[in-house]
Amino acid sequence: MTETNEHEVNSDFTMNFGPAHPGSGNFAIKVEMRGERVLKATADPGYLHRGFEKLMEYREPMQNSVLSDRVCVLEPLQWNLVHAEAVDYLMGYEIPERAKYIRVIMAELSRIQSHFIWYAVLSLGTGFMTGFNISIGYRDYILDVLNLITGGRVYPAGYICPGGVRKDFPAKAENMIRELLPKIDYMRKFALKENPAWLARFKEIGVLTKEEAIKFGATGPVLRGSGVATDVRRDDPYEIYDELDFNIPVMDEGDAYSRFKVGMLEIEESMKIITQALDRLPKGEVRTPTLKPIVKFQQAKGELYIRNEVSRGEGAFYMVATGQKTPYRVKIRGPSFTHMIPIVEHLLTDVDYADVPAIYWSLYQCPADVDR
Amino acid sequence: MMSEKSRQNKKQSIEEKLIEDLNSILDATVNYQTERRLWVNIEPDLIVETCTKAYELGFEHLSTISVTDWLDKGKLEVTYHLWSYTHNHLLTIKTKIDRKKPKISSLNSIWGGNAETCERECHELFGVDFKGNPNLTPLFLEDWEGPPPFLKDFDWREYVKKEMYDQKNPREKVYFEVRK
Repeated sequence: MTETNEHEVNSDFTMNFGPAHPGSGNFAIKVEMRGERVLKATADPGYLHRGFEKLMEYREPMQNSVLSDRVCVLEPLQWNLVHAEAVDYLMGYEIPERAKYIRVIMAELSRIQSHFIWYAVLSLGTGFMTGFNISIGYRDYILDVLNLITGGRVYPAGYICPGGVRKDFPAKAENMIRELLPKIDYMRKFALKENPAWLARFKEIGVLTKEEAIKFGATGPVLRGSGVATDVRRDDPYEIYDELDFNIPVMDEGDAYSRFKVGMLEIEESMKIITQALDRLPKGEVRTPTLKPIVKFQQAKGELYIRNEVSRGEGAFYMVATGQKTPYRVKIRGPSFTHMIPIVEHLLTDVDYADVPAIYWSLYQCPADVDR
Repeated sequence: MMSEKSRQNKKQSIEEKLIEDLNSILDATVNYQTERRLWVNIEPDLIVETCTKAYELGFEHLSTISVTDWLDKGKLEVTYHLWSYTHNHLLTIKTKIDRKKPKISSLNSIWGGNAETCERECHELFGVDFKGNPNLTPLFLEDWEGPPPFLKDFDWREYVKKEMYDQKNPREKVYFEVRK
């Protein structure tokens, strides 16, 4: 695990943070140390590289829809949505109104459960096992609902598909979601309690200024934690987000705590979105009625860069269609790609080794969408 | 209260103004694709200059860099997707480079580590050489000595069959000899 470093004059030895570290995910950072101090860090991705972009060039959109789950394990429904929107645009599908509402509800539930995992790994990284256990426990209530609606607890297997969603809500789904909201609220309040040990670990650690955040391509809670009020749902609205009323939480400090707090405040906004969408949920079809399970992608021509606000920030698909059965080129932009390579290398210079987990997990990493 | 129509008109005029500004500053024809999506085609030598101007105009977020391999035309198309937090528009800058000797200047003078990392990925998967990028080491693939794997003429199915298929093992037949 450690090796003495004879080439670098400044550092004593190099150490691997991950990929076998509990909670680091399938990701590693090589840190050059001098005593307890980290001098320099180099990100080492690639443990989860499955080559989705190439795989999608060999598969038809309905198959890709299932594949898009796997772009990020922790927020599969949102990646379903980005993929579906790209195909919808290229095929010129009109999405039924009810499907748009269901898509938004599912995406927001997925965002909340992903934020719970964030709180869980932050707790795990700083030795607060109670936080981890409670958070993962409360996440399971959401997974039960996802299981009822999509048939899969974690992977929905392309529930949000081109043309709408696969199936309508089962009869008791609406009630179950409404009953779920107070539980989410309890967990949210628990996470926002200002625990002194928690503050000591995260306050004024890993400060990313506003200018740096924009230059390094930060998005989502990381960017909003550095004082930039932007959200793809507001600035580049998709589905029905422009009709809904919600706020964008922003913090100016730019440290690990402010990034985390922005994420937890977002849960309340997601709850507002879900409530509004449930109240207005129209009746009707949930998929374009003429659509057969196979998307006739030969009819599609053109290209599009579609952006969505996934839990971690800006998730995007660049899809080029040239009249073949399969897309000609697919490019996936994962938000963690910029967070976990340039930003983590920038923040992990000249810090204490004890702060590495706090900084690392405050960036809300998902190794799966770095590698794709 | 502004009516829906007048709001639409106002939006349209802002968009037209933005396209006009971009046309004159970038010295190229900016095309409208769909709502909040603009694109422009430029020569590869002008990439740093054009991106600098776009950056100064408010397109300050480099969302990603992508490469499309146009095998029939013998070209690699490099696309830069820039988002503007002030104008709320996406500008896609496209440029075509020779497929045999793919070379283009790096944008690290504008976006530093972000551009460098995106370029590392394009270098690894498409073999594009970004001049001025000091770190083009592989990101994802370990000990890879084959051609850039995302190019259209690299058939990974053939490659896997050739390199990985243990024909003595009957179980593997299921995966490698698919009935058509």
